Amino acid sequence: MEMRSNHAKLQVHSLTKHFGDLGVLVDVNLSVENGYFVSVLGPSGCGKTTFLRIVGGLESVDAGEIVIDGHPISGPGRDRSFVFQMDSLLPWRTVWENTVLGLEISGTVSDDKDRAMALLKLVGLSGFERYYPKQLSGGMRQRVNLARALAVNPEVLLMDEPFSALDAQTREVMQTELLRIWENGRKTALFVTHQIDEAVYLSDSVVIFARRPGRVQEIVRIDLPRPRPLSIKRTPHFIEYVDHIWKLIEKDVTAPSNVCG
Amino acid sequence: MLSGVHILSRARNRSVWATTPQLSRRALSFISVAVGLAAWELIGRFLVANSLFLATPLQAVEALGNMWIGGELQRHIWSSTQEFVIGFLIGSASGIAIGLAIATSRNAAAIFNPWVAGLYSTPIVALAPLMILWFGIGIWSKVAVVISVVVFPVMVNTESGIRATSPHLIEVARSLCATRWQIFAKVSIPSAMPYILAGLRLGIGRGLIGVVIGEFFGARAGVGYLIVQSAEAFNMPAMFAGVIIFAAAGIGLTAAFQALEHWLLRWR
Repeated sequence: MEMRSNHAKLQVHSLTKHFGDLGVLVDVNLSVENGYFVSVLGPSGCGKTTFLRIVGGLESVDAGEIVIDGHPISGPGRDRSFVFQMDSLLPWRTVWENTVLGLEISGTVSDDKDRAMALLKLVGLSGFERYYPKQLSGGMRQRVNLARALAVNPEVLLMDEPFSALDAQTREVMQTELLRIWENGRKTALFVTHQIDEAVYLSDSVVIFARRPGRVQEIVRIDLPRPRPLSIKRTPHFIEYVDHIWKLIEKDVTAPSNVCG
Repeated sequence: MLSGVHILSRARNRSVWATTPQLSRRALSFISVAVGLAAWELIGRFLVANSLFLATPLQAVEALGNMWIGGELQRHIWSSTQEFVIGFLIGSASGIAIGLAIATSRNAAAIFNPWVAGLYSTPIVALAPLMILWFGIGIWSKVAVVISVVVFPVMVNTESGIRATSPHLIEVARSLCATRWQIFAKVSIPSAMPYILAGLRLGIGRGLIGVVIGEFFGARAGVGYLIVQSAEAFNMPAMFAGVIIFAAAGIGLTAAFQALEHWLLRWR
């Protein structure tokens, strides 16, 4: 099933953002086509999370504009949903109640109930509907976060280092799980990470951010076949991509970062 | 085969005592209470054998039975129950409402905060005589006392609970396009629940004190009234019977409320 059509789903025009005197993002321009999985990669402090939050409508801009399906955004919207880092579940709500939170807010729980149930099954949490977050492992919680974000059926899925708090093994499992789930519908996805192998493994393209000020340094297209088994990480082709990207960001990562005053 | 690491054959047996610490501690508590009551009984019977100053537990229980048979105990309990229940319901409902208002509206905060600051640490029960003067010696003066002591802890806790809502969870709701009201109803209120319930639990204890104090200053019936009347008549068994009723009410209500809290906060 080929769901990609060659039109720009998400466009970022001359985006600029300052925190005080500090230029966090300067003149970021980007166009993401429909159905592509794009990672935003860069050292800490390069503004990649701020960038994602702006696309999500959670942060204002100083200049520039975000356009989704031809419409400029002005805040959070039903066309986007966000997967945060850890502990974004409401602890007093069960797995099911967390999954349908977005549907409850838009008043469509009864219409979309079947799809939400199917999503819980897709993320592998059938039978856990009545569990509370404290009863779940970190990986399971991120599955619920993913299901909650997908339940509102967004046009663009935004993920902010969703696996960064997981241990290394769980993280790899969740990467393959994310790809499996993503293959089922292929929504346009923006994924922020600072791990090169994660970005290469998941993405069609990796957008590399440089810092001070935050800007797009380069876009690397990842031509690896899908679906991608975890073993692809040990192929020479994959390792070449990782090495290539590492060389691109090495200077930025090893440069002194704590210049105070 | 020398890898520097090997598996130990068996875990050592754990101490027998370690398997039942809870049970033995519960027995310890029980023994403590039993010894205390027995000592009280013995002291009242042999050391301070003067019924004008001290009644023994058995005498108090006997007084309870007699007053129950005579029907006067039910009248006192019913009176105090009405005062407590009506006062607690009105006091906690207005405490929650004002607390929510202060936490969400700067104007409401400006209106209420000076009063809260001034009255929160004031022993409000000191106003009990005034309440009797205003509302008479029927139940409503005591209801007023209970309201005035319950409202503050509930209000203060509600406010801090709403303020303690995680900004991150609010952002989660915002990212899903929640309105201000939806954020309030689906995030702030449930997140403040542990605080609100703790405030209500404090309110139970204070409300009971309010009933006693209110009835001390003027009443026609009630368990607090029974205590003053019996004390004035040097009827120590009846006085201790009244104290026992309040103690039982305090223990029972708090335990019941804790069970409710435990159930409501089962997600924690």
